[in-house]
Amino acid sequence: MGDASAAAARSATPWIERKVEDDANVLYLKGAWRLPNLVAIAGALRALPLQAGKRFVVDGAGLEALDTAAGFILLRHLADIGCTQSMVSARGLEPRHGRLLALVHERMSTPPAGGRPARLGLVQGVGAAALGLGRLLKSHNAFVGAVALEILGLARRPRLFRPREAASQFEAVCLDALPIVALVNFLIGVVIAYVLGVQAQRYGANLFVADGIGLAVCRELSPILASVLVAGRSGAAFTAQLGTMKVEEEIDAISTLGLSPLQVLVIPRLAALVIALPLLVFVGDVAGIAGGMVVGAWQLDIAPQVFIDRVHGVLEMRHFAVGLAKAPVFAAFIAVIACRMGLAVARDARSVGENTTSTVVQCIVWVIVLDAAFAVLFQHMEI
Amino acid sequence: MERVVQVDSIVTRFGAQVVHDGVSFAVGRGEVVALIGGSGSGKSVLLKEIIGLVQPTAGRVELLGTEVWRAGAQELNALRRRFGVLFQDGALFSSLTAAENVAVPFRENTALPLDLIAPLVGFKLALVGLPPEAGAKSPAQLSGGMRKRVALARALALEPEILFLDEPTSGLDPVGAREFDRLVRVLADSLGLTVLIVTHDVDMLLSLADRAIALAAGRVIADGPVSAVRNTDDPWLRDYFAARA
Repeated sequence: MGDASAAAARSATPWIERKVEDDANVLYLKGAWRLPNLVAIAGALRALPLQAGKRFVVDGAGLEALDTAAGFILLRHLADIGCTQSMVSARGLEPRHGRLLALVHERMSTPPAGGRPARLGLVQGVGAAALGLGRLLKSHNAFVGAVALEILGLARRPRLFRPREAASQFEAVCLDALPIVALVNFLIGVVIAYVLGVQAQRYGANLFVADGIGLAVCRELSPILASVLVAGRSGAAFTAQLGTMKVEEEIDAISTLGLSPLQVLVIPRLAALVIALPLLVFVGDVAGIAGGMVVGAWQLDIAPQVFIDRVHGVLEMRHFAVGLAKAPVFAAFIAVIACRMGLAVARDARSVGENTTSTVVQCIVWVIVLDAAFAVLFQHMEI
Repeated sequence: MERVVQVDSIVTRFGAQVVHDGVSFAVGRGEVVALIGGSGSGKSVLLKEIIGLVQPTAGRVELLGTEVWRAGAQELNALRRRFGVLFQDGALFSSLTAAENVAVPFRENTALPLDLIAPLVGFKLALVGLPPEAGAKSPAQLSGGMRKRVALARALALEPEILFLDEPTSGLDPVGAREFDRLVRVLADSLGLTVLIVTHDVDMLLSLADRAIALAAGRVIADGPVSAVRNTDDPWLRDYFAARA
């Protein structure tokens, strides 16, 4: 024992020490070989000049503690320098340490698990994203087809329609959204009237603010704002609801009861949204014009009565109709994308979040794209 | 024998409902103990009270010499590094791969460099009997049995002194369940772990546990070696053991 303590004093590392005895490397393990000391132990092992070729004896008489992490680091180091099992023996180990080392040895023979695949390069990333987008659009297409078939089936057997479900969705999608849609459109009306008014006042053309507000709100702003709000509110809700049902296997349960998930879940939501959005747009029209009217009375000396008369006189029916006509199309896109993304959720919680985010982004992008397409189309049709 | 888990006269009430009405027991170091009881007997709640997640109405819990419900936040977190918990469905983080799940305790609670964590994670996965390719998969891609193994690897990451298992074999087929029992037994024997299992799986109790503690009507109705508990003359326990044909 005196020999060992003298050797420990010579050695820089207290964890392990090597001595050559009878043509064998004897490794004296000392101290607490535990996870908190692992960095020091790994360093001590690396610093040890070891070569394969000789027999190794692990002496554990000085061990205070040993856990699997430290045992693994020791055995891995011996394996790394080329020791095979026949070249290593142990002595002086407490039985529990011996059992632990035996278990570590038995289990570590499987190679370590690989990490996640390497990150894609820029070009590969762009390519993968493009292919992913292509697949997404293709599957949207197939989903639209399936929904269309269900609607045709509904035309033949109208009793399949679920009015109660549609009504409860209508309440959530339309009635509950009324205050926020009205508020946002009112404020936008205020902002536009104010900005327009500052310019119009310079030319003494105050009254033209009413023309601008009427046209901008009814034709473009109210449909866009209502759609974006509905995409964020109801689109996200649809995806999260259906996604959670998918995770809980409720969708599978619906199918095995002989019902069509599209008929039970998707069609009522689609119907509710297609009816709700034009109504919301109408409320938005009224609120936006009201916002302009308030600024007109306050800032531009246009009495509310005059403002309304002016809007009534110059706002042609077709502008109002165009705004309302766009709404059901936007609504159909939002409902189909949201339901489709909900049904496409994988079996875990993360996927619900990812798909919900994706729904909102896709819906807003589609609403803007469709609006641009409508603008060009109506221009050509001279509406 | 050193007592690593000590539960004293735990009382739990949710409103008017009394879940525990004075539950007391102790677990010594190195013991493998099963906590049994019918559905709704408050086993899982008791486990949550022991590991400091749900506060009991009255009574005290002592883990490794620290009183859980008197300990400060720091003391409790230090204590939590000394035990591992396997939750009922694994409770793996779904945004991380299996290997990353096991790496979480290393990255958050140790100062180990990444090049040491990676092989350790690989080893922990191998230790619980997972094939190497499982590490790169996300929890959604793994079967129920594999998820439990990953969760066990995560619970064992920081070399805990106590391992708590909540219904470890629920959702596993009988073959998978017995394999899991063997795995826990080997680990407990080799690592000197203290294991407290909450279960209603009779086979697991018979093949794995040294001792059983039975809960019914908010009290401990039997506590002792499995063979002794088996012969207790309590109607519920008779039915419980008889249910295994």
